Amino acid sequence: MYVDSAAGACNFDPNNNPMSESAPEVVLNNTNNNSFAHEEDLRRISMEEELSNYHHNTAMEIEQLQNEMGFGTLDQNTSNNPHLINPFENHQATNWDNNNEMQQQLPQVPTPDLLSLFHLPSSSVLPHSSITFTNPKSPGCFPGSFGFEALPETPSGTAASSVMYDPLFHLPPQPQPPLFRELLQSLPHGYNLGGSSLFSNGGDEGEDGSRQLFENGVLEFSKEMKPLGRGRGGNKGTKHFATERHRRIQLNGKFSALRDLVPNPTKPDRASVVGDAIGYIEELKRTVDELKLLVEKKRCQRERSKRHKTEQDVGAGDDESCNMKPLIDPHEQSYNNGSLRSSWLQRKSKDTEVDVRIIDDEVTIKLVQRKKINLLLSVSKLLDELQLELHHAAGGHIGNSYSFLFNTKMYEGSSLYASAIANKLIEALDRQYAAIPPTSSY
Amino acid sequence: MWGRRRHHDNDDSSYKSKNLHAERRRRQKLGDRLLTLRSLVPIITNMTKETIIEDSITYIKELQTNVNILQEQLFEMEASAQEAPEPRKEEVDAELMKKFGIQIGVDVAQIDGNRLWVKAILEKKRGGFTKLVEAMTYFGFELTDTNVTTSNGAMVVSSILTGFHCDTLLHVEHTREVDARDH
Repeated sequence: MYVDSAAGACNFDPNNNPMSESAPEVVLNNTNNNSFAHEEDLRRISMEEELSNYHHNTAMEIEQLQNEMGFGTLDQNTSNNPHLINPFENHQATNWDNNNEMQQQLPQVPTPDLLSLFHLPSSSVLPHSSITFTNPKSPGCFPGSFGFEALPETPSGTAASSVMYDPLFHLPPQPQPPLFRELLQSLPHGYNLGGSSLFSNGGDEGEDGSRQLFENGVLEFSKEMKPLGRGRGGNKGTKHFATERHRRIQLNGKFSALRDLVPNPTKPDRASVVGDAIGYIEELKRTVDELKLLVEKKRCQRERSKRHKTEQDVGAGDDESCNMKPLIDPHEQSYNNGSLRSSWLQRKSKDTEVDVRIIDDEVTIKLVQRKKINLLLSVSKLLDELQLELHHAAGGHIGNSYSFLFNTKMYEGSSLYASAIANKLIEALDRQYAAIPPTSSY
Repeated sequence: MWGRRRHHDNDDSSYKSKNLHAERRRRQKLGDRLLTLRSLVPIITNMTKETIIEDSITYIKELQTNVNILQEQLFEMEASAQEAPEPRKEEVDAELMKKFGIQIGVDVAQIDGNRLWVKAILEKKRGGFTKLVEAMTYFGFELTDTNVTTSNGAMVVSSILTGFHCDTLLHVEHTREVDARDH
C-alpha cells in the first residue's frame, strides 16, 4: 500500500512524462516542421517548468541531471525515472521503520500467538516429567513458589523452595524469561490464566492446570533433588548412625547374655548361639518334666509306705485291708508306669562328651573322651555310687579318644534324674584330668 | 547385623557379588533359627528379633529356676524317705548261674609283647566289676578295649589289657586271685 501510495504520489509524473515524452517525440517526428517544433519546444519547456514547479524538491536534481547528461529526450527519461524512484525509496525507508514498530508490538497480541513462543519452554519442561514426586505444598502456595518467578533476576518466593529451584536455572532458555515476566505482569490474575492455557492440555480450571504445572515443575526438581537429598541425608545419617550403633551394641549384648546361659557353647557366632539356645530350652523342658515325674513318683512311694505303715499299725486282723494292699499297689504302680519317664540330655566339657538317656529305669550312657586316661575305673565307681547296675558295657580306643557305652539299670526306688548323672560324670572325669596322669604311651 | 550390611555397601561390586549368596544364606540361617526359638518360647512382648532373644533369655532363666526348685524338692523327699533303693536280690543271680551251668573263671591269652586278652566270668554282683577293674589297675594294667555282658545272673568281661609286665601265667594267677577275693 505504501508502495501504492508512493506510486500514487508520483501519479503525476507518469502522467506528465508521457506528455513530456510525447512532446519530444512530437518534436522528433515533426523535426521537419519548424513551426511545430517551436511550439513543441515551448510546450516542453512549459511542461518542464510545471514539473519543476510540482516537484520542487527534485527540480535541482533534474536540472543537474539534464546538464550532466547533455542528452535530449533520453536524458529526460532517465532523469525523470530517478526522479520517480527517489520518492519510492524514501517511502520504502519509512515503510520499514513502520514494520519494526509493528514487530515490537507483537507481544501485546492476545495469547494464541504467545503459544508459539511458549511452546519452547513447555516442551523443555515436559520431558522431565517421567518421575513421580509428591510435594507437600498446597496449591495455593505455588504461584509464589513456581520456578519462573524464582529466576535470578526476580526474588524467589519461600526460603525452602529456593534450594529446590536451583537446578531450574539451567533449564529455561535465556531469551524467554523477560517475556515470561511481561506475560505474568500483563495478565490480570498474574498466574492462573496464563498457566492453565499454556501448560495444561485442555485443563480449563485454574486449579487443575496449576496442579499439573506444579507437578511438572516439581517433577523436574525431584530428579535434580536426589543427589541433593543424599547430601542432606548425610546430616540425618549421622544421627541415625548413632542410634543404629547403640541398637547394635544392645543386640550384641543380648546375644552374649544368651550365650552365657547355655551350658555348652559351641561356636561364638550368632546362629550357633541361637541353635544352642534352642537345644537347651528343649533340654530344660525335658528335665522339668522328668523332675515333676520323679517328684510325683516319690510322693506316691511315700504315700504307699505310709499306707503300708498305717496298715501295719492298724492290725493284722483286717484281712480285707491286707487284701486290698496288693490291689492298690499295682494300681499305683500302673499309675506311675503309665507315664513312661524318658529324658535325654548331653553335656560337653573340654575333653568329655556325655550323653545320658533314660527310659523308665534304664539308663544309657555314652561317653567320649579325648585324652588317654583310665576312665573305666572312675566311671565304674561312679556308677556304683549312683546305684546304677551295669548290665552291658562296650568301648575302647578309637583314634585319639576313648569311647564307651554303658547300659545300666536303676535300682528300685531310686530318684535319679538325667542331669544329675551327666553332671556328676563330667565332674568326676574332669577331676581326673586335673590330676595329671603319668604319660605312658603304649 | 546392620553394621555388616553397611560394610558390604562400601565394598567393591565384585566382593558383593561373590559373597552375596553366602551372606544371604547366613542371614537366612539365623532368621530360621530365630523363628524356631520363637516357636518354643511363650512370648509375652513384641515379635522383633531383639525381643525374641530377650524373651528367650527370661524363659531359660525361668526354666532353670523351675529345675532347681524341683531338684530341691526331690532332694528333700529323698532325705526324708525312709526306704533305701534296693538292688535285685543276689540269690536269684547265683541260682540262675547254677541253673545254666555258668561257671566262674578266668582265661588269659597273650596277644603281643604288651597286650593280654582276658576273659572273666563273674557273678553279677553289686560293685563286682569295679573291683575287677580296680585289681587290674593295681597290677598296672589298662583296659584298652572292654566288653561286659550280663546274662542270667552272670557277668562276662572280655578285655584287652595293656601293661608293662606281660608274663602270662603270672597274670592268670593274679586274676584268679582277684576272683577269689571277690567271692
